Amino acid sequence: MKTLSIIIQVLLGAALIYGTLDMPKWGDPHSPAASHVSPYYLQHSIEHTATPNVVTSVLADYRGYDTLGETTVIFTAGMACILLLKRRDKSQGKRHV
Amino acid sequence: MFDFIVDHYNYWTYIGLMIIGFYAMMTKRNLIKKIIGMNIFQSAIIFFFISSSVKKGVTVPILEHAHGHAAHGLEHVTHAVDAMQYANPLPHVLMLTAIVVMVATLGVALAVAIMIYRKYHTLEEDEIIMAIKRD
Repeated sequence: MKTLSIIIQVLLGAALIYGTLDMPKWGDPHSPAASHVSPYYLQHSIEHTATPNVVTSVLADYRGYDTLGETTVIFTAGMACILLLKRRDKSQGKRHV
Repeated sequence: MFDFIVDHYNYWTYIGLMIIGFYAMMTKRNLIKKIIGMNIFQSAIIFFFISSSVKKGVTVPILEHAHGHAAHGLEHVTHAVDAMQYANPLPHVLMLTAIVVMVATLGVALAVAIMIYRKYHTLEEDEIIMAIKRD
């Protein structure tokens, strides 16, 4: 089992390193991630949202529904933790505490 | 060759981190160690995305001199912003969301681990499997 998993890790690492050979250079200002979509947000953030912090304007304005869903995720996780950790009465719960 | 290593070693660091986390998730018997491995794995993904937002010689994506102009007229500010002066904001935003999901999964995983410990009085996987088979 341990040798099998080590073999899997080595194969995965080799495949991923082979994949990085075509990745853009670190800190390249003309990389695809920096040259297609993000200049639009940097240039129009003030005009659309009047917020100098672009991260905030994208998080709370352009992707506002995503942030709303994020709070749902947090709420669900919190409820799951509360329901799991709540101590049950020994009479009704099957699990002994 | 040396330039190639300097340009790409960040990716290799994250791959190393990711494989450490994945190895811990696969082979460790202790559930807490598995959760730690999962956290390392997620951190490696977050580092990878953050490193794609880096541009050499730029500052954080907070626009300079924006507050005063925003009150008066917006037109001349819009054209003054040079995108090459600021780091890419989009990976930062996406990773904020990913950090939230990471914290949520960590919390639920720890709660489930506590429940398992309350029932079986151990966190070792093989002992739990033996106890399940015994029941």
